[in-house]
Amino acid sequence: MTVRILLADDHPLTRSGIAEFVRREESFELVAEAEDGAEAWEKIKELRPDVALLDIRMPGYDGVTVAQKVKNEGMNTAIVMLTSYDAQQYVIASLRAGARGFVLKTVSPKELTTAINTVAKGGLYLDPEVASVMGEQDFIPEQLSVREREVLLLAAKGLSSKEVAKHLFISERTVQTHLASIYDKLGSRNKTEALLLALKYGVVTLEELLEDD
Amino acid sequence: MLSFLRKKFAGSGSHFLAFLLCALILPSAAVVLVAVTGMVSQEQAMEGAVSSYVQDLAESLSYHLSSDSDVWTFSMLSDFTRFPFFSWGPSIPGWVALIGQDGRVIISSPGSMNKIVSIWRNDLPIGQAVRVEDRQGAQYTLAVYPVKRPSGGYVVAAVSWTQLLGGLVSIVRIWPLLIVAMALLSFFAIRLLWSRVIAPLRNLASEIDSMTLGKDVPEKLPEGSIQEIYSVHNALQRYAQAAVERDNLRNRYVRDVVQAQEQERMDMAREIHDGALQDVTALLQQIHMIADDENKTTRLKRSEIIAKAVVKELRAFCDELAPPWMDLGVNEAITELAERLSQAYDIVIMTDYDEGTDDAEIENDKILSLLRIIQEAVSNAVRHGYATEVNIELRREDDMLVLDISDNGKGFDSSNINHETLRVEGHRGLASMTERMSLMGGTLRITSKVGEGTEIKASLKV
Repeated sequence: MTVRILLADDHPLTRSGIAEFVRREESFELVAEAEDGAEAWEKIKELRPDVALLDIRMPGYDGVTVAQKVKNEGMNTAIVMLTSYDAQQYVIASLRAGARGFVLKTVSPKELTTAINTVAKGGLYLDPEVASVMGEQDFIPEQLSVREREVLLLAAKGLSSKEVAKHLFISERTVQTHLASIYDKLGSRNKTEALLLALKYGVVTLEELLEDD
Repeated sequence: MLSFLRKKFAGSGSHFLAFLLCALILPSAAVVLVAVTGMVSQEQAMEGAVSSYVQDLAESLSYHLSSDSDVWTFSMLSDFTRFPFFSWGPSIPGWVALIGQDGRVIISSPGSMNKIVSIWRNDLPIGQAVRVEDRQGAQYTLAVYPVKRPSGGYVVAAVSWTQLLGGLVSIVRIWPLLIVAMALLSFFAIRLLWSRVIAPLRNLASEIDSMTLGKDVPEKLPEGSIQEIYSVHNALQRYAQAAVERDNLRNRYVRDVVQAQEQERMDMAREIHDGALQDVTALLQQIHMIADDENKTTRLKRSEIIAKAVVKELRAFCDELAPPWMDLGVNEAITELAERLSQAYDIVIMTDYDEGTDDAEIENDKILSLLRIIQEAVSNAVRHGYATEVNIELRREDDMLVLDISDNGKGFDSSNINHETLRVEGHRGLASMTERMSLMGGTLRITSKVGEGTEIKASLKV
């Protein structure tokens, strides 16, 4: 089965490079190219591709906004963010907006193919370069407690420690203790990394993250 | 006088000074005029009074002595001697004498002869009062009246002004002295007014006129001016001094900014030259060698590694120049920076955001200045304070966004910290942060105590 793909990037050289990667793969079909967010959104609505590769920074709507629109409309198009920025906050923002993949533009054709195939099947793909620790394949994380999972999910949704504490009827101090324990168990150094690692190891799912409060 | 003053002060526009002078000169002139008029009319009144007195005296005597006979009867002469001039004790003032046609003195009141001789003039008219002066300058009036007798004869009457009018005469003498004194006093008052008030005021005015604020400081006022002008001048001096200092500070600040900009350009050039440029050169060499190399795969692999390194380096470089993730919102931007700094310095950085910090639409330049403050604060905390833990808190206080950064470093004495000391001591980063915050209408406060870490509080209106 061929995967129908839309590619949106305002930079023509990069766009043609990526387009070539995609065309070379036999199981992929490049159905449209767009050079800004608005055009991408129009073409997604019209062509309903299986996968949309979106640059984050584009004139008009940025990639995250387009992803949010796709998510809000409940479309089946899987979004992969394609960017030259390695900020983890972009990853989190993209995932919250419903993206299932986050890939840097320096990606190799092989990795890009993997990413597209993974999200097309409903999986989650994050560029290993985004969080360096995530490249360690043989790490097996310790099981999180129920409370710890709750704390992690609320924190991932952007709640501050104070708000998490209020939400779970525990003290702020306890929230900090839980977070420290979560970092320890996942081998992360901060909240964002903890969330990304938890997603990677399947400790939490993207659906849980996207659930409304 | 007025037109002269008007001319003198025209142009400078300071009519006030002209009016001030007039206010002093006009009353003085009026007083002198009144005094002179008073003096002249008093003199006239006195002269009239003395003249009619002497005329009355001479006339009534000559009337008494008039007769158809030429014989002087005893009763006539005894009548004459009954006039009070001849008795001792209180008597009416004056001297009288009866002189015959031949010039002989027939009879005279005591002391008359000496007095009359001393003031006698040969051109005296008959039947008129004449004012004369003796050698000492004393005033007298005398009158000569004819006696109606066949043999003729004259009555001579004289009176001394001081004798008749007493103190009034000396007052007339004092009048001119008083007027001169009055004029002199006015002159000195005007001179004083000129040297103490008007001249200093004019100097002050021209000084203010020619002064360039921020460049000149007025010179010290010469001694001898009034207190009020001193106060105004001192205030002007302080104001000008402050303006000069403010200008100097601004100039130094601009110079610092320019220097920092140039330094930054040099750093950027070096970084690109030593990093990306070297890498791309290496990449180009690899590509050149690919063409005539049998082991193309190895060369290509190497090229890929180099290209990836260039991208990574340039990306880090761009992040350093202007973090692109600002557009995600202030909380996300701070979290991203905090996590990066935490990894770069290998310290714990906690972030906490109050409700509502993400609601407000905050301009990117405000977010950027908050990020720069965090960067600077964390860098200082680690490098100078040897901190291992930094807490970053962001909260809303009404329409203010408050950023609180505290560390567990060794701290310093912040009691006398200000922009200038920061600048001088080389904390140019924090100094320019303070400046930047004030430019955006915010504030930056640094509190620290030795051994108690440092707290930086930045407040911004959003």
